[in-house]
Amino acid sequence: MRASYRSVVRKPADFDAFWADVLAQAAAIPVAPELVPVPLRTSDEIEVFEAFWTSLDGVRIAGWYCRPARRPEPGPAILFMPGYQMDPPIPKEWARMGYRALSVAPRGKLRSMRQFNPGYPNLLTHNIVDRHTYAYRGFYVDAWRGVDWLLSRPEVDPARIGVAGSSQGGGLAVTTAAMRPEIRAASAGCPYLCGFMDAIELCHTYPYEEINDYLRAHPERRGAVEETVAYFDGLNFADRIACPIIVNIGLQDNVCPPETGHALFDRIGSPDKQLYPYDGHGHDAGRVRHRSVMDAFFAKHLASPPGSRS
Amino acid sequence: MADARPADFERYWQETLDALAGLPARPELDVLPLRSTEFATLHALRLTSVGPYRLFGYLSIPAGRGLFPAIYYAPKYQSVLEIIPQGTANMQRSRYVTLSLAARGQRNSDAPYAAMFPGLLTDGIERAESYAFRGIAADAIRGLQFLLSRTEVDPTRVAVVGNDLALIAAALQPGATHVVTTPQLFHRAVDLAPRTPAYPLEEINDYLRAFPARAADVRRTLGYYELAAFAPRVIAATLLMAGAPGAVTDAASLETLAAALGGAVTVHASEESTFKDGLQIERWLAEQHGIADLAAIIPEQWR
Repeated sequence: MRASYRSVVRKPADFDAFWADVLAQAAAIPVAPELVPVPLRTSDEIEVFEAFWTSLDGVRIAGWYCRPARRPEPGPAILFMPGYQMDPPIPKEWARMGYRALSVAPRGKLRSMRQFNPGYPNLLTHNIVDRHTYAYRGFYVDAWRGVDWLLSRPEVDPARIGVAGSSQGGGLAVTTAAMRPEIRAASAGCPYLCGFMDAIELCHTYPYEEINDYLRAHPERRGAVEETVAYFDGLNFADRIACPIIVNIGLQDNVCPPETGHALFDRIGSPDKQLYPYDGHGHDAGRVRHRSVMDAFFAKHLASPPGSRS
Repeated sequence: MADARPADFERYWQETLDALAGLPARPELDVLPLRSTEFATLHALRLTSVGPYRLFGYLSIPAGRGLFPAIYYAPKYQSVLEIIPQGTANMQRSRYVTLSLAARGQRNSDAPYAAMFPGLLTDGIERAESYAFRGIAADAIRGLQFLLSRTEVDPTRVAVVGNDLALIAAALQPGATHVVTTPQLFHRAVDLAPRTPAYPLEEINDYLRAFPARAADVRRTLGYYELAAFAPRVIAATLLMAGAPGAVTDAASLETLAAALGGAVTVHASEESTFKDGLQIERWLAEQHGIADLAAIIPEQWR
């Protein structure tokens, strides 16, 4: 890792106004939450459902929802965000720990690709010269609206919602914690979508390499690309995060360079933040070693109703 | 373990190979300028497998004059098809011909059949004759056949890398000289699934919970895919990537499979680090293929 590296990311002056406008557009669209049982995946222990809601541009978004069986009382919930190439998993492991868990499939993922499907590779550079139509404009809102879907469920305690994910899921955890005050705790592993323009200099691996491919083909568009991604860079959302947050990174991460993880952590606004750097680890970011840290973190912040915490 | 295979195991796979042989691949290659560099040209590949079914892949050819060593990235268990696996240095394409293939059901090969993940592992599992993976295995073999037909490829240095399908393709199609396999789907699946709540094996638990009367049919089908049954046919040098100790596919669990493989075997137990495990694969491939400047083709963060 280059200890002396300094991020080149700068926040646009109208960053907040841009996102206020996007959220205003989204607010005009009913969430229309839907819950469909999935008997094949349901057991005596865990109930599994397909979840659906409507997002920006009227795109119908899917998710997997798991909850502990026979637990109708309001309880803690986790919003799980997917990696870039990952097929969103069925979050049974969270439900086994007592959480109501929603695994989000933003637009372009399986089951959310009927109306929008730029494919992989391609998503990262889809309309990357125009912030008003860039792929991640809708993609981010899809993820954030997972909070609204959870709030529609009577078995979810609205005061105990957390967000977690790694890689792209880590980046989405960052932006969701920044944009949704309902989030009470966040865990971001090896966050992607943080330091776009840093990452394309620091590593030459996909998916960030998609941007290098694009700029090699269209060098004259570099300014437009830089301008667009600044509105979507997790580093520029970080100062809005007010909830407790943990960030784990791998010091040999070849996908999301650790320098970008450090830059993110430095900019997080919450005073209750902790960085876990794992030496000897790549894009796994010490996942196995970190699991107990994450479990304890969410147990501390979500397991008990706010009034009963010490 | 090989003794536990179905009596008609050879017939089942010979029929599959015969069906494949009866269909010309009719490959189409189109240059993809966006993903081509000064050190490698990327092509979109389309070719036909059993069904008939048209598949998609990415073929990358280094600049310069071959022969080049080759890596075949066999179809993964995910919807997305990568050019090279996420996190691999793009410079790998400067030394190796690489081919990645989307089997039927994966993106770009998802018409008319779009697979679900999870879901694919048990799609049609109650009937071995039409189980989804019979066609997928044929697809994986077709990809290897195509790679072996390329004049840029050094036939003495052809590696197949992937999960169970890497081993199955190398077993059923002669020509691979090296295999890197990380068993995920078909190593003692019926016996090991109850020991893990994790997908993809959890798909089998889900299925048998919903359809307990089909347990014998599931066991019969998976018998045709048992890795140990293929192992004696794999004469390529093999790097067997085991899980960390205690995992359902740890080195102890894979011991019988390793012993049954027909070529030289190296077993690597996962160190639960994508850096350490990934570097092990890169190093092994480079050593086997006579590539001396490993540092030039691995990620900056691993040097």
